[in-house]
Amino acid sequence: MQLSRFLGLQVVDAAQHPVGTVVDVRLTVAGSPEKDPPAPRVLGLVISPHTRASFLGYERSNADAPVMIAALLRWWHRGTFLAAWDDVARVGSDLVRLRAGYTRYSAALREPSR
Amino acid sequence: MTDLPNMPHRGRLLDARLHLLDRQLLDDDGDPVGIVDDLELTDFPLDEDISTGTAAPRVTGIISGQVVGTRIFGGEPPRSRLQEIPWDLVRSVDTVVELKPTDMTFDGGWIERWMRDRVIKHIPGGTHAAE
Repeated sequence: MQLSRFLGLQVVDAAQHPVGTVVDVRLTVAGSPEKDPPAPRVLGLVISPHTRASFLGYERSNADAPVMIAALLRWWHRGTFLAAWDDVARVGSDLVRLRAGYTRYSAALREPSR
Repeated sequence: MTDLPNMPHRGRLLDARLHLLDRQLLDDDGDPVGIVDDLELTDFPLDEDISTGTAAPRVTGIISGQVVGTRIFGGEPPRSRLQEIPWDLVRSVDTVVELKPTDMTFDGGWIERWMRDRVIKHIPGGTHAAE
């Protein structure tokens, strides 16, 4: 399956309530991406409740310049969250369903947990 | 940023769209051989319930190919127009994706070559690089 099939899919919760759109797929690499990286695995789906676009990564970092663009994009992507792969109950051709009681994680890109 | 909790994880994070898709592919000599148009994943249950604990899909390769037409006009190119490059051939992922030495031949740049030979070459000064 091609990864791009995830992008743009509508996401619903276990009660079929819409929660957003898949704007990116978060991968994890057990090593350095810059040096002979092993095959990445899917960690989860980045889901935006307001837009289908993924733009410049502002919604996933602390970047705050240029101020106007950062503010606009941060507002546009407000509410963006990361859903773990373990919380994905079903992937269909046009939507993704999350498990009951799924957790909304921060979509910010951070270093590995200690 | 939000006050949501951070997901525990190991390893480095890459967002496919932000860090991989549309990155330039360079061969072992540093020559451009295409762009990352898509990633191939291991299979998982599609259109059916996913059991708890099912292993997350893994990236098996980079897909590169002739996608100019579909990027302009929409749709998806037929799979025969796409080339899968095994992930084992990836040497590094940074601002570009570098590949290890391989016997694979890449034909992702045929449009650029066609433009060079049929169009650019006929423009005065188009046969030599700017100084």
